[in-house]
Amino acid sequence: MNERKQFYENPRSEENRKKKSNAFATVCLLIASLAVVILVTLIGSIVASGGNWLSWELLTGVHREDNPEGSGIGQAIAGSLVLCFICGAVALPVGIGTALFLEEFKPTNRIVGWLHSLVQLNINNLAGVPSIVYGILGLTAFVYMFGLIEPIQANNPPSIEIGATYFYQTKTLGGKWVTFPAEDPEQTILKINEPVEVTMPSGEIVMLNVLPKSEPSPRDDAVRDVTVFEGANASTFRKNSPIHFHLPFSKSVLSAGLTLALVILPIVIIASQEALRAVPDSLREASLGLGATRWQTVRGTVLPAAIPGIMTGAILSMSRAVGEAAPIIAVMGSVAGTTTGLTSLMDKSPVLPVMIFRWAGEENPGFEHLSAAAIIVLLVFLLIMNSIAILIRYRHEKKQS
Amino acid sequence: MSTAEPGKMLPVDPRPTYQLRSTANARIWQRFMLFLLTLCALVSIATTAGIIIMLVYESAGFFLNEQIEVGRFFTDTKWTVGQTQGELSYGIWPLVSGTFRITGIAMLISLPIGLITAVYLSEYASQRTRSILKPTLEILAGIPTVVLGFFAVKFITPWLLAPLGDFKTFNAGAAGIAVGILCLPLVTSLAEDALRAVPVSLREGSYGLGATKLETTIKVVIPAALSGIISAFLLALARAVGETMVVALAAGSSPTLTLDPRQPSQTMTGFIVETFKSEAVTPGTVNYYSIYAVAAVLFLLTFTITLIGQIIRLRYREVYE
Amino acid sequence: MKNGVLSAAALLAVFGLLLVGCDSGPDAGGGENGGDNGGSNLSGSITIEGSSTVEPISTKAGEEFNKDYPGVNVAVSGQGTGNGFKALSKKECDVSGASRPIKASERDACNEAGLRFYEIPVAYDGLSIVVNKANDFVDQLTVEQLKMIFREDMAVTMWNEVDPSWPEEEITIYAPGVASGTHDYFREVIGKKDDKNIRSDETITLSEDDKLLVTGVKGEEFSIGFFGFSYYKENEDDLKVVPIVDPNTGEAVTPTEATIESGEYAPFSRPLFIYVNAESYQRAEVAEFVDFYLENAAMIAEGARYVPLPAEIYAAARDRLDKDMSGTHYLDEEGEKRSGPVSDVYVEGNLISE
Repeated sequence: MNERKQFYENPRSEENRKKKSNAFATVCLLIASLAVVILVTLIGSIVASGGNWLSWELLTGVHREDNPEGSGIGQAIAGSLVLCFICGAVALPVGIGTALFLEEFKPTNRIVGWLHSLVQLNINNLAGVPSIVYGILGLTAFVYMFGLIEPIQANNPPSIEIGATYFYQTKTLGGKWVTFPAEDPEQTILKINEPVEVTMPSGEIVMLNVLPKSEPSPRDDAVRDVTVFEGANASTFRKNSPIHFHLPFSKSVLSAGLTLALVILPIVIIASQEALRAVPDSLREASLGLGATRWQTVRGTVLPAAIPGIMTGAILSMSRAVGEAAPIIAVMGSVAGTTTGLTSLMDKSPVLPVMIFRWAGEENPGFEHLSAAAIIVLLVFLLIMNSIAILIRYRHEKKQS
Repeated sequence: MSTAEPGKMLPVDPRPTYQLRSTANARIWQRFMLFLLTLCALVSIATTAGIIIMLVYESAGFFLNEQIEVGRFFTDTKWTVGQTQGELSYGIWPLVSGTFRITGIAMLISLPIGLITAVYLSEYASQRTRSILKPTLEILAGIPTVVLGFFAVKFITPWLLAPLGDFKTFNAGAAGIAVGILCLPLVTSLAEDALRAVPVSLREGSYGLGATKLETTIKVVIPAALSGIISAFLLALARAVGETMVVALAAGSSPTLTLDPRQPSQTMTGFIVETFKSEAVTPGTVNYYSIYAVAAVLFLLTFTITLIGQIIRLRYREVYE
Repeated sequence: MKNGVLSAAALLAVFGLLLVGCDSGPDAGGGENGGDNGGSNLSGSITIEGSSTVEPISTKAGEEFNKDYPGVNVAVSGQGTGNGFKALSKKECDVSGASRPIKASERDACNEAGLRFYEIPVAYDGLSIVVNKANDFVDQLTVEQLKMIFREDMAVTMWNEVDPSWPEEEITIYAPGVASGTHDYFREVIGKKDDKNIRSDETITLSEDDKLLVTGVKGEEFSIGFFGFSYYKENEDDLKVVPIVDPNTGEAVTPTEATIESGEYAPFSRPLFIYVNAESYQRAEVAEFVDFYLENAAMIAEGARYVPLPAEIYAAARDRLDKDMSGTHYLDEEGEKRSGPVSDVYVEGNLISE
C-alpha cells in the first residue's frame, strides 16, 4: 500500500523512471550502432590491406607460386560466374517450382496434404543444415556417385563420357608434334607402322612418312618434319568440347555448382513462397472465376505478379552462393589455378571465396594483401547483385502503392 | 478474344462464336505441370534423404571398423584422427567442446547485442536511424563467412585480442567474436520481427497505465514476443554450430578440451575442412569415414536445434488478431 | 506488371552477358599464360599428386614447362606423400611427389595393381627446426632434446624441463601432419628405433598446410616447429632456425644450401623424389614433362628454394628412364628400408623392380 501511495504521490520517482527509460534509449542506440562500427572497421581494415593491390593484373591474372605481384583472380572470377550460373540454372527452376507446389496447389486429399506438410517442414529444417554437410553430400553424390561408378584413372578414358574427341599425337624427327584422330581411345598408346594422315601444328594435313628403322635419318628439315621411324609411339590426348561430360562428375565445377544449388535451394523456396503469398487472393479468384485452370491462373496471373519478389529472393540467394567456400572446398578441393582455364564443366576451377581462403592462409605477406584485394572484388560483386535486388524491390513497391 | 466482327448481329444461337480453348487440353497441361512441380518438391525431400542415408551408411564404415569401439567415440577425451600414426583416440568431446566454446563466445556477443538492437529498432528508432541501421545489418548479413574469417585472423587476433593477453595465433576467442558478428544480423532481424508482431494495443495499454517506455518494453513487449525471440536465438545457435570458414581460418587445428579462449580449438566443422584441405580423402580409410561420423553428429545437433526452434515458434506463438 | 517482367528479363540478359564475358575470360588468361614465344603445340594433361614439400618444386616445374608447352594442363596438388602413393597405386595420377622413399606396403599395393613406377630423386631438403624470432635462449638442440619435445612418451610441456636454464614457459609445437613425408622423416630420426611416435596432444598443432605452421611459429614467442627447408628459406627474416647437433660428430650445424648438399647437416638432410607412373610415361606429354623436369632439375630446385642434387644423380635417373628400369632403390629384397646418402643408395645394383 505504502509503495503504491509513494508511486502516486512522489513525482520524483516518476522523474527517475523517466530518466531511466531515456538512459536505456541512449544505451540501446549506442549498442545498436555497434553494428555500424563493426561494418566500418571490417570494410576499413580490408580496404587498408588490399586497396593498393587492386589492379588490372589482379583482375585478369592467375595464381603464381611465390609471386603475389604477378598473381591474379581472372580464373577465379570466371569460375565464380560459371558456378553461379550452374547453381542458378538448377536451383531457381526447382526452387520456384517447389514454392508453386506448396503455395498454389493446396492439397485436395490426405496423401497430398501429408506430402505438403512434409515438404514444408523439411525445407525449414534444410535451411538450418550447415553448408559443409551439403559439401560432403556433393562429394558423395556428385564426385564419387556413391562409389557406384569406377573413379577415373589417369591412363584410361572414363567409361561413360560425351563431348570429348580423342587424338593421337606423336613427335616427328623434326621435333614437330603432329596429331591424328584416335578411333579407339581405350588404346592409349599406338605404334605407328603405316603411313597415316596427320595434322601439322600449322593446321595443314599431310601424309606422315614412316621410315623403316634400318634407314638412315633424313637430312632435309622439311622431310624430317613429316617423318617418323617405324614403331614410333603415338599417345592419346583429349580435346574437350564445351559440352564435355563424364560420369562420375569428379571434382569439377559441375559438381560444385550442383552442390551450391542444394545449399541455396531452401532459401530460394522460402523467398519464392513469401513472394507468392504477397499476391492478393482476389487476383487468383478472378482468374479462376473466369474459368482458368489452376495452372493457367499461376502462369497468367500469379507468376507475373510475383516475379519481382521472386527475382529479389533469387538474387539474394545467388549472392549467398557466390560467397560460399566450405562446400566448394569439400567438393572441388582448394584449387589455385589451372593451366588451360575452364574448357568444359568437367574442369576444376578456382573460385573467388576459395582463392581468398587459400591466400589468407599463405605465409607470404603479399598474398595476405592480395586476399584482401580479392575480398574487395567479391564485395563489390555482391554489392552490385544486392543493388539490383533492391532496385527491383523498390520499383515493385512503387508500382504497388 | 472474340473473333466476331464488330457491328455484326449476334446469331440466335446463344453459344458464343469465338473459339473456346480446349479445356481438355488445359486439363492435361495442368496435370503435367502439377507432376513437374511435384518432382521439384521431391528434390528437397531427396536431398534430406540423401544426407541421412549417406551419413548413416558411411559413418557405419567408421563405427563398424575393427579399429573402432563405438563406446570410446562418446567417452574418450582425446581426438587424434589424422594426427597420429600410433594408437588412435577418437573421442568426439574435444571437437564438440571446441564447437561449443566458439559458439558460446559467439552467443555471448550476438544475443545481447542483437536483442538490444532489435528492441531499439522496433521500439525507439526514428525513421532516420532506421534507414542507417537496417541497410548496415543487411550488408553485414551478406558478408561471406570467409571474409569474416580473414577479418578474425588478420584483424581481431593481432589488433584486438593480442594486446589483451597471451592469445595464440589461432584461438577460440577471435573465431568466436567473428562468428558472433555473423550471427548478429540474424538475431536482430528475427527478434525484431517477433517484437513487431506484438500488437500496438498492448503497448498502448501499458502506456495508459502510466508505464514508461523502458517498463513497457521489458515487462510487456519482450514477454509477449518471447517465443519468437527464443526461436531466433536457437536459429542463430544452429548457424553458429555449423559455421565453417571462420573456424577453419581463425581457430587453429588442434582439438583441445579446455575452456581457455586463448587456446586454439578445433570444431567439428573445422576438423572436416582441415581433413578436406590436407588430405586426398581416399574412400576406405578410417580418416575418410571419420568425416562422416563427425558430420553425422553435427547434422543431428543442428537438426535438433532447428527443429526445437521451429516447434517453439509454431507451438508457443501468441496469436494476436 | 509488364514492367516487372521486363526488368527481370533485362536482368537475365545482363547475367547472360556477364557469363559470355567470363567464358572468354579463361581463354584470355590462357593466352597470356602461354605467350607467343613459339610454344610447342603439345597437348594433353598431367596429374601430379603427393607431398606438400615437393609441391613447390613440381609447381615450379609446371610453370616453367608451360612456358614452352602452353597446351599442356599441369595440375599439381600436395596432399601428403602417403596419399600420393595411394593415388599412384590406384592409377589416378601420372606423377607422385614424395618427401621420403616408398614404403614396402606402398610398393606392394602398386605391384598388386600392376603399376610400374620410376623413382627419380629431384632435390635435397634440409628439414629445418625453427623457433620464434624473439626466442633468445635456444641456440642449438640435440637429438635427445628434440625427442623430449616431440616424442609422445616424453612430451614435456615446459621449456625448463628440456633445459633447466631455459624459462619456465609453456611450449607450443607446430608440426606437419601424419600424411606428410616430413612427419614420417622426423619420426624416423627421433622415434623409429624405439618404435615411438610424434606426440599428438594439446601442445602440438599438426597440419598438412605448412603455411599454417609458419604462421603459428611466427606468432608465438615460446613456440617451436619444423618443416621443409624452403618454407624456412621463404620466411628467413621472420623465423629463427636452430642448429642441430650431429650425434656422430657432436657439432652443431645450421641448415644452409652448403651444409645440406655436403651432408654435414645430419641427420635431418634428406632427398626428395618424384615417382612416375610408367604407363603414363608412354604418353607424349608426360614423357616431355618428366624429361624437362629432370633436365632442368637443378634450376627448378633452386627456383623453389631447395638444394639441387649432384649432376651424377640426375644422370643416373636419366639412365633408369632410358633403360625403362622401374622400381625402387630404397627397399632391399626383404622389403627392409635402405638408408644412407643418395649417392650410395641410388645405384643400379640396388634397384628392385618387383
